[in-house]
Amino acid sequence: MFFKNTYNEFIKIAAKPRSYIGLIALSVLIAVIIFAMKADGSTYISFVTASFEQTLSFSGDIMNGNLIAFIILQMLIVHIPLLVALVTGDLISGEANMGTIRMLASKPISRSQIVLSKFTAGALYTLLLTIWLGFLSLYVARWIFGTGDLMVLTSDGLIIHPESDIEWRYIYGFLTAYLSLLTVSTLSICLSAFAENSIGPIVSTMAIIILFTIIGTMDVTVFDTIKPYLFTTHMAAWRSYFEDPVPWDAINESIRILIYHNVILVAIALFQFNRKDITS
Amino acid sequence: MKQFIVFLFFIQICNLHYAQQSKVLNAYVTKLNSVKDYSVNAKIVAAVPMIKIKEVNAIIYFKQKDKFKIETKGIAVLPKQGFLDLNKFLATPSKYMAIESAGKEISGVQTTMVTVIPIDESTDVILAKLWIDSKRNIIMTSQLTTKSSGMLTTTYAYADQIPFGLPSSLVFEIDVKKFKMPKSVAANIHQTNKSTNNNKDQKGKITVYLTGYKVNKGLSDSIFK
Repeated sequence: MFFKNTYNEFIKIAAKPRSYIGLIALSVLIAVIIFAMKADGSTYISFVTASFEQTLSFSGDIMNGNLIAFIILQMLIVHIPLLVALVTGDLISGEANMGTIRMLASKPISRSQIVLSKFTAGALYTLLLTIWLGFLSLYVARWIFGTGDLMVLTSDGLIIHPESDIEWRYIYGFLTAYLSLLTVSTLSICLSAFAENSIGPIVSTMAIIILFTIIGTMDVTVFDTIKPYLFTTHMAAWRSYFEDPVPWDAINESIRILIYHNVILVAIALFQFNRKDITS
Repeated sequence: MKQFIVFLFFIQICNLHYAQQSKVLNAYVTKLNSVKDYSVNAKIVAAVPMIKIKEVNAIIYFKQKDKFKIETKGIAVLPKQGFLDLNKFLATPSKYMAIESAGKEISGVQTTMVTVIPIDESTDVILAKLWIDSKRNIIMTSQLTTKSSGMLTTTYAYADQIPFGLPSSLVFEIDVKKFKMPKSVAANIHQTNKSTNNNKDQKGKITVYLTGYKVNKGLSDSIFK
């Protein structure tokens, strides 16, 4: 029954026009970035390497598909949570808003399973979005720009990864990015369990992300103790796979904290939905 | 009397012209010009602060007078004023004056120091100091100061291509104090660890190992396109 309900939930997501906004928005954004890089990528590169080029010269193909994928990921990973929340924030509250939640609860399935199937459907949608992002940013970019070594600029300097050492970084990077987006999905579904309309959880999710991001970027010591526990702090953990050496301890810590967030948010949603008054 | 003054002036001009020439450098330039073209396999090992890069293999092509190409499969980091600039500058003796003085011992070889100053102010080179092994007519160390890139010290090692004055390895020492990260691109907004980069004056080293020289085999111009 759980799998059937999950399938139904996914069908519901697929039937909503807003579910395609994310995919279309991603396609358009990536197309714009690829076009901009194709048209004037050398200016972008020279901006990045300007301070080095006074003393050094870089030979070889810097502007390749691997760099484009990295630029796309860096630019879009901040905005994709909105596209995720737009769909997942509606999963429970949308049913409450339309009044279909009573019919859903009358099925021979527990409330917990209803919530878990919605989380699973939300996770599948987020996975689809991440795969689409990966396909467009990595494979389409490589098809257009070709492949090559990856030049990554970090706050500590410039790292150039050989082409043969990149694929696994992207695989792990996308998996971790997926976990970050899954946390956003879980948060919005959790908030959705408290709301009776669609807009509230979507806006609240974005407000929380903005608030946490601002706290994370403020260089104030009073926030230092809470920063490591904010999920937004760990949303860019995917980037750590492109450091040398890879900070595995920090990545594992980020993954742990994101998983904790997911478990806690699912537990809160289960608790809230099980005690939710849907009969009156 | 008037003729005597003119004669003295002529002698002075001759002396000045003589001072501007360096036999040691001229011998080196002659050797340099005997190389019409070459291709060589290169292994580039860069140890530059703030840059992490693994060693890169490349093929270097050169053809007189100033055709130069580095072919790499990946990205390679090299000094901006690297391979060609010094030789290109030295190739035209009329554009600089050279002063010889006692050099130092480098790798057990007593060298002659040649200070090269450009006559043309518009050139990028401000000063070049060369420590030349006058017996074999090869540069052991060079120090090139340019307007655009500051100072670059290069140490040369030689193997089987001494007759052509072509090195088997080059060690470039560069100044990296001016490297600054563009924060808008490099900054990780989620990073909680504060960067330890303090932009101190540091030296970077780029070593280029050169093997498998093919000298004067006649390179096609199409390679450089």
